[in-house]
Amino acid sequence: MNGPIRRVAIGVFTGMAVLLAAVTWYQVVRADELRADPRNPRPALAERGKERGLIVTGDGTVLARSVEDPDDPRSFVREYPEESTFAHLVGYSSFLIGNAGLEEVYSAELRSRRDLTISDLVAAILGQDLRPRGIEVTTDADLQRTARALLGENRGAIVALDPRTGAVLASVSNPTFDPHLLLGNDAANHWEALLTAEGEPIRDRATRELYAPGSTFKTVVAAAALDTGAAGPGTTFADPMEFQLPGSDATISNANRRPCNDGNTTTLLQAYVRSCNTIFADLAIQLGAADIGITAQALGFNQDIDYEWPTPEAFWDTPELANDAAALGQSGIGERNVRATPLHMAIVAAAVANDGIAVSPFAVRRVFDADGETVRATEIDELGRAMTSETAATLTQMMERVVTEGTGRAAAVPGVRVAGKTGTATGSGGFSNPWFIGFAPVDNPTIALAVFIEGSVVSGESASGGSLAAPMAAQIIEVWLSS
Amino acid sequence: MGRTSEGATIVAASLLAAFAVALVNFANGETVDSQIGLTFLIFLISFGTLYVAVRTFTPRATPLLIAPVVALVGLGFFEIYRLDPARAGLQRWWMLIAAAIASASLMLLSKGTTSVLRRYRNMILLVSIGLLLLPNLPSDWAFPLRGLEVNGSRLWIVLDIGIAGMQFQPAELAKLGLVIFFAAYLADHQKALREAHRRLGPIRVPEPRQLIPLLLAWGGSILILIWQRDLGASLLLFAGFVLLLYAATGATGYLVAGGLMTLTGAAAAASVFPHVQRRITAWVAPFEHYQDEGYQIAQGIFALGTGSLSGSGPGLGRPDLIPNASTDFIFAAVGEELGFAGTVAVLAIYALVISVGFGISFRSRDTFRKLLAAGLTFVFAVQTFLIIGGVLRVVPLTGITLPFMSYGGSALVGNLMLVALLLRISHEESG
Repeated sequence: MNGPIRRVAIGVFTGMAVLLAAVTWYQVVRADELRADPRNPRPALAERGKERGLIVTGDGTVLARSVEDPDDPRSFVREYPEESTFAHLVGYSSFLIGNAGLEEVYSAELRSRRDLTISDLVAAILGQDLRPRGIEVTTDADLQRTARALLGENRGAIVALDPRTGAVLASVSNPTFDPHLLLGNDAANHWEALLTAEGEPIRDRATRELYAPGSTFKTVVAAAALDTGAAGPGTTFADPMEFQLPGSDATISNANRRPCNDGNTTTLLQAYVRSCNTIFADLAIQLGAADIGITAQALGFNQDIDYEWPTPEAFWDTPELANDAAALGQSGIGERNVRATPLHMAIVAAAVANDGIAVSPFAVRRVFDADGETVRATEIDELGRAMTSETAATLTQMMERVVTEGTGRAAAVPGVRVAGKTGTATGSGGFSNPWFIGFAPVDNPTIALAVFIEGSVVSGESASGGSLAAPMAAQIIEVWLSS
Repeated sequence: MGRTSEGATIVAASLLAAFAVALVNFANGETVDSQIGLTFLIFLISFGTLYVAVRTFTPRATPLLIAPVVALVGLGFFEIYRLDPARAGLQRWWMLIAAAIASASLMLLSKGTTSVLRRYRNMILLVSIGLLLLPNLPSDWAFPLRGLEVNGSRLWIVLDIGIAGMQFQPAELAKLGLVIFFAAYLADHQKALREAHRRLGPIRVPEPRQLIPLLLAWGGSILILIWQRDLGASLLLFAGFVLLLYAATGATGYLVAGGLMTLTGAAAAASVFPHVQRRITAWVAPFEHYQDEGYQIAQGIFALGTGSLSGSGPGLGRPDLIPNASTDFIFAAVGEELGFAGTVAVLAIYALVISVGFGISFRSRDTFRKLLAAGLTFVFAVQTFLIIGGVLRVVPLTGITLPFMSYGGSALVGNLMLVALLLRISHEESG
């Protein structure tokens, strides 16, 4: 009788071994995946009331901090002293909605590791510092506040970079929201309200939305023309009243419905400074989709840009445009098959400013421990050379002429040499989307920026890059250079 | 390990339970309170009584059984306390009652031997069936003992003594009685069952005449349980019976037939009972049905995954997010707060209890005692496997409790009596 019992016993212990394997599968092999599953509410719930690290600017302005909950001395509440000004960049840490922005990306550093788990106890015994770490952002508090104030009631975004490093000096999306709304027990209601609110304040127009770049994209087309030697600033073009798109009944005309120059001939420089659509549609078709595509790709189009969080890929649709000259003409003036985020257009301006070398943007300079000592510092990440040094220099001269005598005169700052390019892209609802990209000072650029306005009743039907975006750029540059 | 170190281990396990309660209090921001001392005291009184009873009435019994059982009760208890302090208070009272009943059983059995149970097997069968039928008493009559329907299953009785109602699941005791009956019947007819068989195709089966009373007793109990919608208990009883039949005869045919019957039974149950269908859906694709059928299993798996290697620490996880965490899902709750370290320890302790049970059976010379020890161990092992396997998605969830760890008084009484029987057999066989 022991024989059969023994065989049952072997079966029972096989069963126990299966249980051991199954529990290993969930608690060891798949543990991280299960913990991170968005349907698993535990990690966010565990963060509730826990102390989190500081988020500060280089000059010590506090963007996020944890303070003791007045109602419960063992618990902490998160504070964002700048309220809505940094909402999209800093984000929020909400036990109900989850984390967003830098609060999400740097959650592992910012969270307190004093959880009383065995691994924390071991770490404490080994003398490791369990206090939450802080992060220092590259953003300039004054510049960010200025950008926020400039946008006012407008929908849009302003992104400013240090062209030499890619450090983000300002990143504002408007309308914005108060992150405190999402912290409490009524966060879900506020979240629903924000999702349906006028102007969709939850969207980060600066880094997470793609828009047609309009005439600011002529900078990329001009760079391709200069780089390939297809044209120089003095190269002459026929100057028609309107440009007939090949294989199509459609025509392209200039903003003022007149020829670019005298109706006979004009130059590339004139076309760029006056932002002539007729000439750039023609030039784009002459260059071809592939050559523009090479310059665009070198400037970070059609690829993932390394930023603090994944950003949508800016694109120039080379395969589509290679077989459609009409679409190529329209895309050459920044419409139809080309899109970019405001952040990305700031990268384009920064590349021209930085002698033709594009850099990856970043917003966090360093992670520091509770004593302020640097734990990890961000290293500059070059995307590589986007255009020759000569092309960058020529383009800089052309961009400066835009501000001194062209469409971007409103971007001029007394005593400062400013370079830039305006754009007025087709928006929705009959409104156009004003743009301005540029940098300053020309001889030693320390700021590159993109101003983008999403056309609405606030901006009005007649708003253009030159009339609305360029003055904002001037203000940003002035504040930056005076500090 | 001798009796003295067994006593020391029981004290240590009681201290551990009290320490875990202290950690839960600490995690909730409270300081030392009476719960810690009360827990230690009640553990010590309950299992100390059992220990003294073992020393007195079954001194030659294995010293390896009570200590792991105290550890399991302790691990379950702190998690119940963490989830629902009110239930933990009740569970402590049940601990005292269960230990008293188990000690009393040891004392009663010491007047004779376990062969008494063999002799009165038919009476035990009748009592067991009576116990199984108790929940079908009317819920609304004047008599203080009433049936109770919970979640569509009729498994409970209430003893209403005016001040308080005491709830009990008589199936937990009937389970023991039925195992005793099966073991006794098989021991009595063992020779006949083994030697007289017919061929049914390639499978050898015993003379039907020998099997009829057994099949009636077994079929009747299972039908009652199905009628009451206690499918988990009927599966458990069925598996225990088939394994015992196989142990007694060594005929593989029973295992094959039993396996086939389990599958057809499960398929039939799934088509008849909507709640069985839901459980199968939850087993096959819990994450695809996260919002409804699969929620409990998915939460259990999230709890285990979040617990990871070392767990959140007692009182610091969120096992309260799992529905029925303190009963069916106590294993996942422990896994979340004590981590892989805790779940491996729990599995190891169950493996220890089961191997001690098998060891007692192997060493028994008397057929009845051998089969009884084997049968009790089978039922214990199958129950442990079914519920942990249900939480881990190895098998569909059957809704039975985890022995010694889940919240529930009747289960504690039944399982502690099971241990008392094993101790008695162990004592009698090492003389």
